[in-house]
Amino acid sequence: MAKENVSKNHVLKKVIGYGLLTAALYAAVFLNSTTVLKLCAKGGVYAVFPIALAFVFSFAHGAFANYLWQFLGIEALKQPKVEAEKTAEVAKRPEVRRRARVQA
Amino acid sequence: MQDLFNSANFIDLDTWSVLFLVIVGFVGGLVSGFIGSGGAFVLTPGMMSLGVPGPVAVASNMCHKFPKALVGAYKRWKYGQVDIKLGIAMAIFASGGVQVGIKIQHMVLEKWGKAGSNLYVSAAFIVILLTVGGYVLWDAYKSVRGNNVVKVEKRTSLAQKLQSINLPPMIYFKTANVRISLWIVLPVGFATGMLAATIAVGGFIGVPGMIYIIGASSLVASATELVVAFIMGLGGSINWAMHGLVDIRLTLLILLGSLLGVQLGAIGTTYVKEYMIKVVMGTIMYISGRQ
Repeated sequence: MAKENVSKNHVLKKVIGYGLLTAALYAAVFLNSTTVLKLCAKGGVYAVFPIALAFVFSFAHGAFANYLWQFLGIEALKQPKVEAEKTAEVAKRPEVRRRARVQA
Repeated sequence: MQDLFNSANFIDLDTWSVLFLVIVGFVGGLVSGFIGSGGAFVLTPGMMSLGVPGPVAVASNMCHKFPKALVGAYKRWKYGQVDIKLGIAMAIFASGGVQVGIKIQHMVLEKWGKAGSNLYVSAAFIVILLTVGGYVLWDAYKSVRGNNVVKVEKRTSLAQKLQSINLPPMIYFKTANVRISLWIVLPVGFATGMLAATIAVGGFIGVPGMIYIIGASSLVASATELVVAFIMGLGGSINWAMHGLVDIRLTLLILLGSLLGVQLGAIGTTYVKEYMIKVVMGTIMYISGRQ
């Protein structure tokens, strides 16, 4: 029980940490939207700018979303779902060798 | 600021637009996380309904697609559902398909004008979504009716026959547990790219192609499609961004909802039986095609 609480607190810390980071990133972009849009509209080598932003946001917000669902108890089932279609393995029959018998 | 909006076709955003983009992003993400594709055909028209010009809507949507696919693919890779090698092979061939698809679009536009181009896109949309979507739905119905206790899907007889063709180079896809000729993967990837260039949702051919032709399970096919979407989305985004058409505000607002949705969709795949992916995909395709 105590271990579970520690784990839940750890997840909550991550939710808050990544949540703040995400909020700060969004605030930075939307408070400076004129500059940001000007850079994006330039094109050419400035293409790096929107692409890099998308990567940074996917890392921060992606991590936040992951820990948020975890904190809310929405998690994947533990059992592995992918059970690749296994070709039916035919159980090997024990090799039966007839012994030579001497008929009297 | 106004000059910038006028020159580059970037719209002003109000509270309603912001909320709309976040909600539509969440729904698109949820669908993508579950069936591996399908967000674009909700998001692009959604943005255009706000007054965003077509090219900016497509560019901004594509720029949101690759980070969303990256997060979704990573999540589903952790569940052991992604075949990276198959995804990369599909993406390489799909890139060729995109180029040919764009050329065909240009040819149609030159020969028959805008009306002809619209007719071509609409016809492709209706024919492909209704036929492929109808087949996926019918197959899912058979699974539901026939044997709903079996967790593992059976490979189609077509996939089994194609796998038996020993035409080098043969490749083994570990997670999909498929050994197949690269010459069979090529047309599936190519068609995915062509459809992506025509109706912007390549996954509606890619996922059924991986299931019925290559022989991957629905779970692996839908998860692998996210790898394809990431690679193709990144390439497309760089192209659009070089033309300065990405409205990063729209991209980030959609991402706000879609990164929550895509992870929820991915989690959902671990709770359902495999044929549920076909049910959802077939239903979405069929309804979109009919509309």
